[in-house]
Amino acid sequence: MDGVSFHVDRGETVGIVGESGSGKSVTAMSILRLVAEPGRIASGRILFGDEGKQKDVVQMTDDEIREFRGNDVAMIFQDPMTSMNPVLKVGFQIKEAMAAHERFTPKQARDRVVPMLKRVRIPAPEDRAKNYPHQFSGGMRQRAMIAMGLSNEPHLLIADEPTTALDVTVQAQIIELLRDLNRDLGTAVILITHNLAVVASLCTRVIVMYAGRIVEEGPTRQIFKSPQHPYTWSLLRSIPRLDEYQHEKLLTISGLPPDLTNPPPGCKFHPRCRFRVDRCLEEEPPLGEVDPGQKARCWVLMRNALAAQPQQAGQP
Amino acid sequence: MTRGTFAYVGQRFVLIALTALVVSSIVFIGVHQLPGNAFLSERQSSPQREAELLHHYGLDKPLPQQYLAWVGGVLHGDLGESLVNRGVRITPLLLRELRVSATLGLFALLFTVVLGMGLGILAATKQNTWIDYAASFGGTVGYSMPNFVTATLLILLTVTGFYAWSGGAFYEDIGWGKPEQVIVPAIALGLYPMAIISRLTRASMLEVIRQDYVRTAWAKGLRPRLVVIRHSLRNALIPVVTILGPITTSVITGSVVIEYIFGIPGLGKEFVNSIFNRDYNIVIGVFTFYAILVGLANLAVDLVYPLLDPRIRY
Ligand code: SF4
Repeated sequence: MDGVSFHVDRGETVGIVGESGSGKSVTAMSILRLVAEPGRIASGRILFGDEGKQKDVVQMTDDEIREFRGNDVAMIFQDPMTSMNPVLKVGFQIKEAMAAHERFTPKQARDRVVPMLKRVRIPAPEDRAKNYPHQFSGGMRQRAMIAMGLSNEPHLLIADEPTTALDVTVQAQIIELLRDLNRDLGTAVILITHNLAVVASLCTRVIVMYAGRIVEEGPTRQIFKSPQHPYTWSLLRSIPRLDEYQHEKLLTISGLPPDLTNPPPGCKFHPRCRFRVDRCLEEEPPLGEVDPGQKARCWVLMRNALAAQPQQAGQP
Repeated sequence: MTRGTFAYVGQRFVLIALTALVVSSIVFIGVHQLPGNAFLSERQSSPQREAELLHHYGLDKPLPQQYLAWVGGVLHGDLGESLVNRGVRITPLLLRELRVSATLGLFALLFTVVLGMGLGILAATKQNTWIDYAASFGGTVGYSMPNFVTATLLILLTVTGFYAWSGGAFYEDIGWGKPEQVIVPAIALGLYPMAIISRLTRASMLEVIRQDYVRTAWAKGLRPRLVVIRHSLRNALIPVVTILGPITTSVITGSVVIEYIFGIPGLGKEFVNSIFNRDYNIVIGVFTFYAILVGLANLAVDLVYPLLDPRIRY
């Protein structure tokens, strides 16, 4: 992880996209300082709050970080099957999240459990609160996790691959739920995923990560319409699209994700990049503005590359 | 407690009774194959007197008939009469001795569970520090010493050692009857299972604190104490509880040796003596007691299990 810098505005939905090993989960974990040993935050700042009175997560004491977790920023994880304690009732685990902080009195916390479950559209919430996690389906568990995360009315919800472990139909429901909750409660959402389709349906802004770096960022619409980094470009080419010519082959990204302990010199993407020039092997490009609101880390921008090599890019 | 639980417990009781029956018949056959009988050491024993005694106790009848007579007695709660100490009824004798053994066993289990889990948790939370290494080393030592060695070393330490160091002021009196006399034998009996429990607890804790739901607990902002106790310990104890059944069994069998070494008048000592004396009825009685005890201990553990893990239902 190196030089990752981004911001999330109040109520915004931001997608962080990348392959596994691209550093997107670590980025999310560091926001709550949950990076597992032996990883650590060597330097940098994670600021939270309104302009002028921001707190730096990295500098917080253990007590402060504990108050911060779940209260200001909540997090839900990839595998809802293993993310809830199997021996405690679902309702209890939600209540516990509120009891850990001072926002609600114990009585309020108790009374809020069922409405929270209802809010995430769990049927028969009164009965379900008394169930154990193994009595829930995967989708319901993820809903319960969302209810737990939102129970303290945090400003930001980080969802780390929230739909990857679920069936496709359930995935869509969870994304829809997150979208509605973001609209109704104004909770900002950071969605971490390798799935661009999920980002497209939820996020207004997208950050693409590769080898622990941000390689491109900008408004979702703009990036989907005209990606400027070759990696983003090939990511977009690798998702099936119904509206495109059926016989066009899907483009897969050849090569392996980079070894983070021994990254290549120059641009980290160059071993897999079909547009590389000599400079890419020696010097790492900076993250520069390529269009209003859109930044990319590349020497060769896609619009130039595609103009120069139309035959290669058009029909691989 | 659901209906299913009652049915399950009922089944288990039937199984325990069957086990007791099988064990008692095997022991019954086995003990009669031992050379000699209870009356050989009688003073002024004459062949005629011996035959009289054998007849008095029904020992001259064919084995199947003897066994049926014994089972008949057991159904009335009567395990028969001691062959060596005439007139002593075995049932009240064994029940009295059971109380002694149970006291020792419970103290040993208390030592085993409290210290074993404590050390395991400590070692896991202080993983790869000197505390962890010390606990692991102690565990390996405890794990590799048979209980008679532990017992002998403890006697050496507490009786001879303390006496010498304190210049005769401290005198450890082995035996039974005074409350403090339970400590040393309980440690001797509990050291081996304690080592097993501490190793298992450590491994189980280390596995649980890496689980996703523990990460969730941290992410919720729970206090560290709650993360450890509520979200790690309880889950980590589930596999530990499963081995409490076998552990109890090992404490029961271990008590035979420990009681004999420490001269504690419990079931274990009676068991050894009765074999030497060829006191058939007592041997069979003690064996059957043990079979039932092991069965009940395992049943108790199995009933605790679903309380800890809601995914288990009977
Ligand atoms: S800098 Fe060069 S190698 Fe890197 S993505 Fe751009 S064109 Fe490819």
